[in-house]
Amino acid sequence: MTDQLLVLDKVTKNYGAVQALRGVSFSIGKGEVIALLGDNGAGKSTLVKIISGGLEATSGSMHFEGGEFRPKSPSEAKAAGIETVYQDLSLCTNVDVVANFFMGRELTRSMMGIKVLDERRMEEQVAAAMENAGTRIPSLRTKVEHLSGGQRQAIELNRFVHWGGKLVLLDEPFAALGVEQTKRGLQMIRKVAAQGIGVVIITHIMQQAFQVADRMVVIRQGVVAGDVPTKQTNADAVIGMITGETLTGAGPGEGVGE
Amino acid sequence: MQQSQRRSLEFVLDNLVWFMLLAVLAIFSAAVPSYFQPGIFANIIEQSSVLGVMSIGLALVIIAGHMDLSVESVAALSAMATGILFASSGIGMGITFTPGWLVVPASLLIGIVVGGLIGALNGYLVVKVKMNAFIVTLSSFIWVRGLVVATSGGRSAQNLADEVRFLAIQRFLGIPLTAYIAILCFVGFSFMMAKTRLGRHLLMIGGNEAAAFRAGIKVDKVLMIAFILSGAIAALAGWLLAIRTSGATANLGAGMLFNAFAAVVIGGVSLKGGLGALPGVYAGVLLLSSINTAINLMGLPAHYTQVIHGLLVLAAVLLDTLKQTIRKQLA
Ligand SMILES: Nc1ncnc2c1ncn2[C@@H]1O[C@H](COP(=O)(O)OP(=O)(O)OP(=O)(O)O)[C@@H](O)[C@H]1O
Ligand SMILES: [Mg+2]
Repeated sequence: MTDQLLVLDKVTKNYGAVQALRGVSFSIGKGEVIALLGDNGAGKSTLVKIISGGLEATSGSMHFEGGEFRPKSPSEAKAAGIETVYQDLSLCTNVDVVANFFMGRELTRSMMGIKVLDERRMEEQVAAAMENAGTRIPSLRTKVEHLSGGQRQAIELNRFVHWGGKLVLLDEPFAALGVEQTKRGLQMIRKVAAQGIGVVIITHIMQQAFQVADRMVVIRQGVVAGDVPTKQTNADAVIGMITGETLTGAGPGEGVGE
Repeated sequence: MQQSQRRSLEFVLDNLVWFMLLAVLAIFSAAVPSYFQPGIFANIIEQSSVLGVMSIGLALVIIAGHMDLSVESVAALSAMATGILFASSGIGMGITFTPGWLVVPASLLIGIVVGGLIGALNGYLVVKVKMNAFIVTLSSFIWVRGLVVATSGGRSAQNLADEVRFLAIQRFLGIPLTAYIAILCFVGFSFMMAKTRLGRHLLMIGGNEAAAFRAGIKVDKVLMIAFILSGAIAALAGWLLAIRTSGATANLGAGMLFNAFAAVVIGGVSLKGGLGALPGVYAGVLLLSSINTAINLMGLPAHYTQVIHGLLVLAAVLLDTLKQTIRKQLA
């Protein structure tokens, strides 16, 4: 690949006595799509949270665009250009679609020296983003609690496409989406990557990974068990890496638990 | 259920308190002799000023998903500070200024700083030390009241300067200036909640703190601001109370916490956070005052007021639960 965007070096994470990550090293290039694969409990979500600033690594280092990178909060990671769609949805269901779309980045206009929320401009932009993605939501002013799981996920996806940034982390973003929406989502990912944005997508669906990713990174029991270009592998080989039947990387022998 | 039906049901749920206020006023006007007259309504608004201001701060913290039980004691401390420093009899030191009106900003500033500091301490313990807000502010409720009793030695301060008493005496359209201060606070903070980023962030933190944090909102900072505001606003309420009573006693404002609590919950603020708006809280305060006024007019002994207030708090929480159940079915 071209320039390195994010490089992870021996990243570990302990939750008390639980060693969720035991030294993860891999890298992501600009405009590259990586599928992060692994069984339940392998440590994928933990890794995403460390990159996005929600958790701090216990040890190891990260470099983002060549510089030392150790985000202490999501706002820091966001400021650096990292957008995240989390596995468990990150919406405030007590406010409307527009408020969620602009959460933490509300547009304001000045009214007699006071910064006032610019609801109209925000609504216009959300409408445009939804239109672009072909997402239909009855009213952008409905509270999110009244929307279906798929509609909620669509909001999150459109949100990251809208904000762009430099690196996008997607933790099982299509879990609640229908066939058509998933297809659009995958196209969206390719479109985003074509703009030079790096993408990490976590999925359990092999077919999706092969459709969209340039490279497969497999995590098993907190370490990288495989890191191969999509073109040089096949589903059976990848499944082998996930379950531990083939030893391609530094993974431990066998016995893959929860 | 149909979209339009759901909308209207939601509208009623969101504004239930206004319907209740209208109903209560209508019932009392019909049933209680001499209730229906401008003087009574002006009185209700006047009665609502101190409680109203106090409820604003409490509401902000509850909307953000936390709790501040210290508001009543903070108000009492602010009132006592005003009384001790600026009242001229009792334990008052009778500090004066030239020109005399400087007592207004001076006493207000001292009160607000004291209240803000206690709010900051509450906020620090809840946000940074991660202690439970209920326990932290319950403890403040107790020790701050203790401080009021200790500094006053259980005695009272009376006779504030006319320059500040003026705010309680001077009337415009039959309503004293203190009540306008309360209304102004409601307008200002309603605007903040509905139209500014801070208000939006408070609401979203109350709805889903983790999501707000992930979205890059500085949750700690916003919550800290909420607690400081709550303390400062409670202090403003205490200042108004001192002006109204022209001084302070050691047990001034005792019991107001539960009225504020009832007003906030009746006003449509959900105890689970993320739901409610300040205009409704004002309606909740007006509702309580209307009931108080009716009790007074009917000549019921004062202890019954307490029984009724207790039941009202219960009714308010019950109402909150009920509304949540209905909302769940709507969703
Ligand atoms: N907050 C936490 N406290 C303690 N242990 C945790 C916590 N979060 C995750 N773990 C543990 O860390 C390990 C990795 O979890 P993680 O959520 O990263 O897995 P995952 O690969 O995303 O799995 P899935 O595919 O099921 O989403 C698991 O053993 C899990 O039990
Ligand atoms: Mg996961």
